Amino acid sequence: MIVGSRRSRRAWAIATYATVLAFLLFTTLPLIWLVLTSVKPETDIVVAEGVRYWPTSFTFEHYANIWWQSGFSVLVLNSAKTTAMTILICLVAGSLGAYAFSRFRFPGRRQMLLGLLVVRMFPAVVKIIPLFIIMRALGLLDSSFGLALAYSSFLLPLFIWIMKGFFDALPDDLEEAARIDGCTRLGAMIRIVLPLARNGLVATTVFVAIGAWNEFLFALMLTTSQGSRTWPVGLQLMIGEFQLPWGMLAAGGVISIVPVVLLFAFIQRALVSGLTTGAVKG
Amino acid sequence: MARSWDQDGTGAARADLGRYNPFYRIVEFSEHRHWAWFLLLPSVLIVALIVVYPTLYGITLSFREMRLTRPGLGTGFVGFKHYLAILQDGTFWIAVKNTVTYTTLSIAFELSLGLASALALNQRLPGLRWMGVIILLPWFLPNVVAGNMWALMLDPRLGVINDILVRIGLIGGYRAWFADPSTALVAAVVVEAWHGFPFFTLLLLAALKGIPDELHQSAAVDGATVAGRFWHVTLPMLKMVIVAAVVLRVISIVNSPDLLLILTNGGPANTTMVLSLYAFQNAYRAFNFGYAGALSVVMLLLLMLFCYLYVRVSNIMANA
Repeated sequence: MIVGSRRSRRAWAIATYATVLAFLLFTTLPLIWLVLTSVKPETDIVVAEGVRYWPTSFTFEHYANIWWQSGFSVLVLNSAKTTAMTILICLVAGSLGAYAFSRFRFPGRRQMLLGLLVVRMFPAVVKIIPLFIIMRALGLLDSSFGLALAYSSFLLPLFIWIMKGFFDALPDDLEEAARIDGCTRLGAMIRIVLPLARNGLVATTVFVAIGAWNEFLFALMLTTSQGSRTWPVGLQLMIGEFQLPWGMLAAGGVISIVPVVLLFAFIQRALVSGLTTGAVKG
Repeated sequence: MARSWDQDGTGAARADLGRYNPFYRIVEFSEHRHWAWFLLLPSVLIVALIVVYPTLYGITLSFREMRLTRPGLGTGFVGFKHYLAILQDGTFWIAVKNTVTYTTLSIAFELSLGLASALALNQRLPGLRWMGVIILLPWFLPNVVAGNMWALMLDPRLGVINDILVRIGLIGGYRAWFADPSTALVAAVVVEAWHGFPFFTLLLLAALKGIPDELHQSAAVDGATVAGRFWHVTLPMLKMVIVAAVVLRVISIVNSPDLLLILTNGGPANTTMVLSLYAFQNAYRAFNFGYAGALSVVMLLLLMLFCYLYVRVSNIMANA
């Protein structure tokens, strides 16, 4: 992209790195501050005058406090349960559906694909109230399964769209060859297509997992007790009710984004290359 | 790609293998022409049950009196009562104005940040790949953490941003950014922009990678300057993606009250009250489901109107 003399190329490189560096600082400084706050003793967080930037000593008491005393461990466990159930629903229903959309032509196919996009346009509140009433009638209110179902209402359409893109990218020839060799249609799907689409399946699943792990609004409306409450709701309620100290809040924040950062690091390659082309192409 | 083998199966010969084994029944069925529908069945059922039905139900709610605090939910039909009440509701009009301001400012920040970062990351220089990955990170972080992290940094008593701004002499003393009606909305926009701009980076970077190098080279050979190449080559190629990304992002910002719910809960004095938040509070705090339903239907209509006009205007500008 850079065309021109060696000198102007150097100037461009410097300008590029300066811009990227500014963005790196913008995105990471708040996170660094969060981590610093989580390991500062209380006396370094609440200072009489000004702000203490570097802690005088490091402590993990905020982590111990929020994990054991405030019951954050229960919240994290509930979130993990809900996330696992959401993944299961999307993986089973979504990969079959995406495969059908990718490999078959049937009446109503275009309309259904478009419909899956349009439902994402509807305000969450329109769905949340009826879901609340339905879940209450079915006894699914305040349960991990009910919440996972509610999450699927926006994560399943997403899963189908992304996964369809990955299936579309696989050539038909392999399946046809397998079928000529006597493989059934189901056999071709299970033995040929799914293993080849493994990377896409993993990336899409991680995407759904992050969405379910982070979700706040549905969980706030549909959970009412420690039995199923997820960490975003629990953390937010602790802040409101007990005036949670900043140190513990920061520790809770760090604990809860560790899985997100790990998963993100795991899929970033597929995300930056595969997902973008898939998402833009549609 | 209609399949020739859609019509009839090669599996017929295999059918007598194990007619009563359920697995073989499925294998046999996979040769049937309704196999695609069978694969779609779970998704269709789930979407019908938890998306289509609740949405339609939600729309009918807006014509009914429904409060959780009343016995038997109080499900009488009240016609357009809620919609007429909305027109008289002062908070609703404030929320409309705030929604427009909040969304416009957020999109303006996010699009400029996203474009700048995507252009920089698109250069072929060592190290930019992993730097790009880090820049995308905020998009994947939870609202609750993003919101509270910034609340910590903007805290009126111990906020580090106050301290930095005072040290470099931009402000005289510590400010309560979220409690001051004149700064609350803008402070929330900063948080929204931090959280949301990588969405634009991701989509624009993908679009930039799709522009063939030859276009730039031939423009350079023709003597186009860097600015000229950006204006006449890059921007026209990005136009469609920008239009699509803006529509998607507007929809998600208008629809999700999460961040403002966490940061300000609509205060102070309704200066950060947006439509989605107002509807949610009517449902979550007041349990006034009918009114909340009507508010979200109005929001949906306004959103559809915007998308329609926006796409039309961008088409007209593209053809002009």
